[in-house]
Amino acid sequence: MSQLVTGAGAVASVGDGVDEVFRALCAGTSGLGELRGFDRERYRTRHAYEIDDRPAPGTDLPGRATDWLLRAVGEAAAQAGLGEDLSEVPVLIGTGLRELRSAELAWRDGTPFDIGRLHFGTALRERFGAVRTHTFSGACSASLYALALAADLLATGAEDTVVVAGVDTLTESMYGLLDRVNSEPPDRVRPFDRDRRGVLMGDGAAAVVLRREEPGAEGRALGRVRAVSMNCDANHVTAPDPQGIARAVYEAQWRADVKPGDIDLVLLHGTGTQLNDAAEAAAIAEVFGREVSGPLMTAIKCMTGHTSGGSGLLSLIVALESLASGRVPPTLGLAEPLPEAEAFRFVREEAREDGDLRVAQIDAFGFGGVNAVAIVERAGR
Amino acid sequence: MTRGPGEVVVTGVGLAVPEAGTPEALLRRTACPVTGPAPEPFDTAARIGRRGHRYKDRATRLALCAALEALRNAGLIPSDGEEVTVPGDTIGVVASSNLGNLDTACLTAAAIAERSAVDLSPMSLPNASSNVIASWVAIRHGLRGPNLMLCNGATSGLDAVHWGATLVAAGRVRRAVVIGVETHNAVVEDLLGRSAGELLDGAAAIVVEGARWAEARGARAVAALGPYERRAGLGGCVEALLPDGAAPGVWFTPERYAEGPAGAVPVPGAVPRYDVTDAVGRASGALGVLQCAAAVGWLARAGAGAGADPEAAAGAGAGAGAGAGSAFGAAGPGAAPDPVPAFRQALITSGDDTADAVAGLLLRPTPDRRPPHPARAPLISMECSR
Repeated sequence: MSQLVTGAGAVASVGDGVDEVFRALCAGTSGLGELRGFDRERYRTRHAYEIDDRPAPGTDLPGRATDWLLRAVGEAAAQAGLGEDLSEVPVLIGTGLRELRSAELAWRDGTPFDIGRLHFGTALRERFGAVRTHTFSGACSASLYALALAADLLATGAEDTVVVAGVDTLTESMYGLLDRVNSEPPDRVRPFDRDRRGVLMGDGAAAVVLRREEPGAEGRALGRVRAVSMNCDANHVTAPDPQGIARAVYEAQWRADVKPGDIDLVLLHGTGTQLNDAAEAAAIAEVFGREVSGPLMTAIKCMTGHTSGGSGLLSLIVALESLASGRVPPTLGLAEPLPEAEAFRFVREEAREDGDLRVAQIDAFGFGGVNAVAIVERAGR
Repeated sequence: MTRGPGEVVVTGVGLAVPEAGTPEALLRRTACPVTGPAPEPFDTAARIGRRGHRYKDRATRLALCAALEALRNAGLIPSDGEEVTVPGDTIGVVASSNLGNLDTACLTAAAIAERSAVDLSPMSLPNASSNVIASWVAIRHGLRGPNLMLCNGATSGLDAVHWGATLVAAGRVRRAVVIGVETHNAVVEDLLGRSAGELLDGAAAIVVEGARWAEARGARAVAALGPYERRAGLGGCVEALLPDGAAPGVWFTPERYAEGPAGAVPVPGAVPRYDVTDAVGRASGALGVLQCAAAVGWLARAGAGAGADPEAAAGAGAGAGAGAGSAFGAAGPGAAPDPVPAFRQALITSGDDTADAVAGLLLRPTPDRRPPHPARAPLISMECSR
């Protein structure tokens, strides 16, 4: 059973609002910059994909993630015609790191922060009157997991409309620990390149309004969610497992009743780490088999950085925009694909125009082996 | 109103709380809080050993203890093993904790400020992600179904139970282990402005399962899940669950709920009320799961023939029966097939009017527990001498 996406919102380092973000990505604009909010001297890594909204370089504020979340949800709700009243609408938020950055500032620096705002329910109630709010802290697949749960609520008839969102900002703890484990600090994210050096975090939020299918509603829809899978590798606490990923991809296609040959575009998770990109490429190659050179493939983290729990939904919005417009953003920094991805039809260097894209797959995988894969299609087919 | 996912039952309970090893014991401690020196902290090594747990944080180890016990109690893991006896992809994990990895985040940020990221231990990396608790439970037992981590404030534990049931009702998995866990440490105490003695260091877990899947493997259900609601205030939440002032058999109140004037309290005064945080400390994201565990203890004690408090049962019986019939007896997907009078049900609420929302859930006896047992005396007079 599929659902309609009737509104979308996004905020990222490359732009504010879905139109601006998508235009920037298609233009090959990167949000990469030198580290803005942390003391650069404390790290070997010096770059990130941050939203530049702090009062001054080197200073930081609590509550930034919450602000972006409210903006993205507001944009999506407005487009869907829900206005500012979400008192009757469930809002499911996927996040990797909640407001942990604010907790770091509160505990270490004494910055005022209400610990009751680690989750996003209070802010969503204040702004939208929303009370059926659920903050899922599910690492880097959290927002696609939230989408899967929302799709279930609609499919079982429990709800007519659900808002799904994702958000994350850099925490110093996660940035620092990633810096510690990288053998050589990356200066940019290069998904699927042989010389990739690792991941850099990015700021961002994304939101969609999901509605049950009903006659006449499709005309205003941005697209359709056919199915979302979710599973867990149950294998390793940080390293991905190609088998678990392959199962998630296969299950999504099975739930959506599509075959690899039906898929025109894949928004890869593509974090630029050694492990993710090799595991993801192996899993995609296995599930797609001889069809692996069919779909266009791209990975937007080369321009947005890894927006963690929000990244899956951001990719999904980009996929819907690509299906609607026929334009696919490029994977920047991809000079030579890793061996497992040699047969992939990557969009490289600049955006590609292809008018007849109908079905897209979106990947999102997270620490703890939590995998979610969505299949979406163009509306008005 | 939102219908409870039909035919989802509780088939296992596990606790990792000092001096409350079973639902009955947790209920007893709740009804008769013990004064005196604080009990020894729960010894996780006694249940799950030490090997392989060195770099796991305290919250994760507590969660593993509760999850193991719940899976064993549900008959999904043999008493002498750790491997599940059903396919791992038929089991999901839903964990709830608001405070679990606050210490890793804050101590790491402080260590960077004092020295640099180069000096950090790479073994802390997994703990920087808030879902580490749910991940480790899955890894330990090979649970490959959906793996959710709720960090949703005061209602988080009850919300987690709801999502576990939703995964089952949607057919994603046949069963899910739902864990609520919190701990305390210098960071948590400082950020909450509370002392260690006020705060929970423990975990609870329940296994929620599709009734037909439980039946198929011959598992005994100890409770059935009724409807769940999340509303703007306590009054609205209770009214949505129990229309027309129907009296439940017992009320598990929000954490440190202070009763106002009679008219302002949404549950009749004759209904016994329990605050599990009196027994275990302020429980934050673990509360709802602890409440469910205690409610299972209440259902077992009360039997199906009478509420824990015969007075409340007698006073509310007729009206509650009618109310419950119209609320739960309606046909349709998710509706319980056999209405249970309100006075046989446990009302559980988390979050109060100061929180972003209040969550509520009804737990009911299962059909096979319904043959009437003799009415018992109120729990307090019966148990406090123990």
